[in-house]
This record gives sequence, C-alpha cells and structure tokens, in this order.
Amino acid sequence: MKHWNEEDLIEFYYGESKSSAAIGEHLRGCEECSERYTALSSDLFAIQPPATPFRDADYGAETWEKIRGSVTAYPTARKSRFGWPRLQPWFGFAMAAACLLIIAVSFFAGRRWEHHSVSMDTATAKNGADQGRQRVVLVVLGEHLDRSERLLVELKHAQPSREAPLRDEARDLLSANRLYREDVRQAGEPALTAALDHLERVLTEVANEPAGLSQARLDELQKEMNTDGLLFEVRVLRSRVQGDLENKQNTTATVKGVSI
Amino acid sequence: MKVHDHAIVREVLDGNKDAYGTLVARHSQSVFRVAFRITGDEADADEVVQEAFLRGYQRLQSFELRAGFGTWIYRIAVNCALNMKNRRKVEAKYKVGEENDPALRQVQVADTAAGPERTLLSREIEQMQTAAMESLTAIERTAFVLRHMEDRSTTEIATALEIAPDAAKQAVFRAVQKLRRSLAPLRVNL
Repeated sequence: MKHWNEEDLIEFYYGESKSSAAIGEHLRGCEECSERYTALSSDLFAIQPPATPFRDADYGAETWEKIRGSVTAYPTARKSRFGWPRLQPWFGFAMAAACLLIIAVSFFAGRRWEHHSVSMDTATAKNGADQGRQRVVLVVLGEHLDRSERLLVELKHAQPSREAPLRDEARDLLSANRLYREDVRQAGEPALTAALDHLERVLTEVANEPAGLSQARLDELQKEMNTDGLLFEVRVLRSRVQGDLENKQNTTATVKGVSI
Repeated sequence: MKVHDHAIVREVLDGNKDAYGTLVARHSQSVFRVAFRITGDEADADEVVQEAFLRGYQRLQSFELRAGFGTWIYRIAVNCALNMKNRRKVEAKYKVGEENDPALRQVQVADTAAGPERTLLSREIEQMQTAAMESLTAIERTAFVLRHMEDRSTTEIATALEIAPDAAKQAVFRAVQKLRRSLAPLRVNL
C-alpha cells in the first residue's frame, strides 16, 4: 500500500492536491496515514492569525494625507494611455451602431453578390463571385470572433461590478452571432456551428444579467459555461478563419494572374 | 453610486491625483491586514501600507485594466512587507541583547498578566507561535501567511512573491514543517 507523505497531506489539507480523491479514499482505509493527517490538521488548525490591530474608517484618508505630498500629478493627457482618444459615451454607441450597420451591409452585399453571380453565364465569373462572397463572410466572421474573444477575455478577468458593460457588448454580439450560426449551419460547418452555439449560450447568459455581475455569479458563469474552453475554441476558429481568408486571397490573386 | 476602481485609475492618470485618495481609502484596510500578518508589527505594517500605495501611484501607468486594482496593490504590499521583514532581520543581526535570543524568546512569559492560569497558558501559546513564526525565513513566513491566513492559492502566492509555483509550494511546506517542529512541545503539554 502506498502511503502519502507529509507534503501530499499538506497539499490535501489546503485543498490543492491533484490526487485529493485518492488521498481521501486512502485516509479512510489507512490508520497510519489517517493519524498523521489528524495530527497535521490539528497542528495547523491551532495556528490562528494574530488579531489585527483596529484601524478606523479614517485610516485610508490619513494614509493618503501622509503620502499625498510625495506624489506629483500625472500630466493631463488628451488621449488615454492606450492611444485612444477620450470619447463621450454616446460616441461609443454611435460607433458600435455604425460597425453593426457596416457588418450587416457587408453581409447582405455578400449574399446579393452570390445571387447575382448565379445568373452569370461563365463558370469563372460564378467562381469569382462565390469567392468574393466567402471573403466578405470570412472577414465579417473574423471580426465577430475577434470581438467575442475580447468579451470572453474580459469575462474571464471581470471583477464584480454594478455596471453592465459586458451585458451591453454581449447583447450586441448575440444578434450577430445568431445570423452567423445559421449561416455556417447551412454551409455545413459542424465544428463552427457547435462553437457559435456554445458562444451563443454564454452571450445569452451575460446579456440577460439584470445589472452587472456579482463575484458569485461570475464564478458560476465561468464554471458552468466553461469560458476557458470556449475562449480556446474561439481563438482556434479565429486563426482558422484568418487562414482561410488568406488562402482565398492567394487563390484570387493566382486566378487573376492567369486571366490577365 | 460607487465609482469603479478602473474609472478612478483613469482619472488619476488624466491628472487628478486626489482621486487616488479614494483608492487608498477603499483598499487600505486589507493592505494593512496582510502587512501586519507578514511583518507582525503594527508600526511596520503602517509603513508598508504607505510604501505600497506610494509605489502603486508611481507605477500606475503599468497597471493593466484587465486586473483588479485591489489584487494589484495587494501584491505590491506583499512585496513591500517581505522587503521590510528582510530589512528587520538584517538589523536584528547587529543588535545584541536578550530580546533577540530566540531560545529565550520561546520561553518568555509576560509576568504582568495576573489573570487565571488559562490566560497565562494562552499567552504562552501565543508567544510560542510568534517565536515559531519568527524562526521562518521571510519568504517562508510570507508564503505561509498567504496560504494559511489569507487563503491564497499557490499560483497567487507565486505571482505575489514573483517566484515559480513550485518554489512557492516548497516555501509553504518548509514553513509548515518548521512550525510543527517548533510547536511540538505544545502538542505534548496540551
């Protein structure tokens, strides 16, 4: 019978052991290890944190007063430190709306172009139109996946808040996501469809949050929705879409070269 | 409505240095608590709090808005407290006297407490624990405080101490082993 050493038991005590199920099972059956673990738990339990001296509500203000004279104000910048101009909130909404409009126009232009190409007589023209449409779809889908990735990264690192910036972004993405999912489903792309389906469930959850996300809700969402896994999936798909787009561009360039 | 930490950071970086006072007020209690647990000294903990927020202000441009300000300043405070602990250890080497003799410290019992026997015993236990904690290296002590008292994961400890996760794990193990050895007499007596 393999006995667990002190390091294993310490890890187990703090709930960080990768073999916690095996150790738990072993402790139930092995008297020797069980006694060692009881002694360890008892020793650690006895070590209590020392009582922290009281600091009243003004402590922060007093601390700030002490260091205030040692700091100099940052120079007032017109641009934020990320190089983006400081914009009014309405401008952000306007930009988001404009982006959605462009995406929608591009999407429908792609579809129109496809229908138009059907009526063309030559196979080359039809092929070119298909590729053009696919390029548009790939570009738009790439952008969508890019935005989704950013949202998932924000969700992964989100702090509890009463504000709801993620919710608004999720609502924006949700409607677009439904269109793309339907489109890729019809195009016969099961992997992409499944990923967009998973993404849609997460977006729906975030979009329907009443106001901001609490820590508990964030943990629950991250666990339930496996956002880490989805983030990885989206990254893989985005790079695949990007690769497909580059291939399409290369193919078009070759075709053009031959025609000329 | 409570303004989000990130919005305040942006405001400070835009030139409003007094906005930083709100962040200090908001996080000073938790920073003080961890500073006190690591240094074990009230005055040192106050000094660590000031140093941490000062460093935080100076490095605010490197703060990434993806992280929480509370977590970020907490890490800075842990580092400041660790440095403070190391400084104090070096200073203690140059001091000569009874109070710095670990063997004596372990058995010292305050005779001013004229309470019942239980109070005396509890005081003795507390003093032995303090002495046992003092016997740890600064890294071991900090890693143990973060793991055992602050309930931080190995990854968080490693990030805060800027060491590899395995090194953080080993520091906690060594601390537990040393503490158990130091406190073994208590186990027999109780």
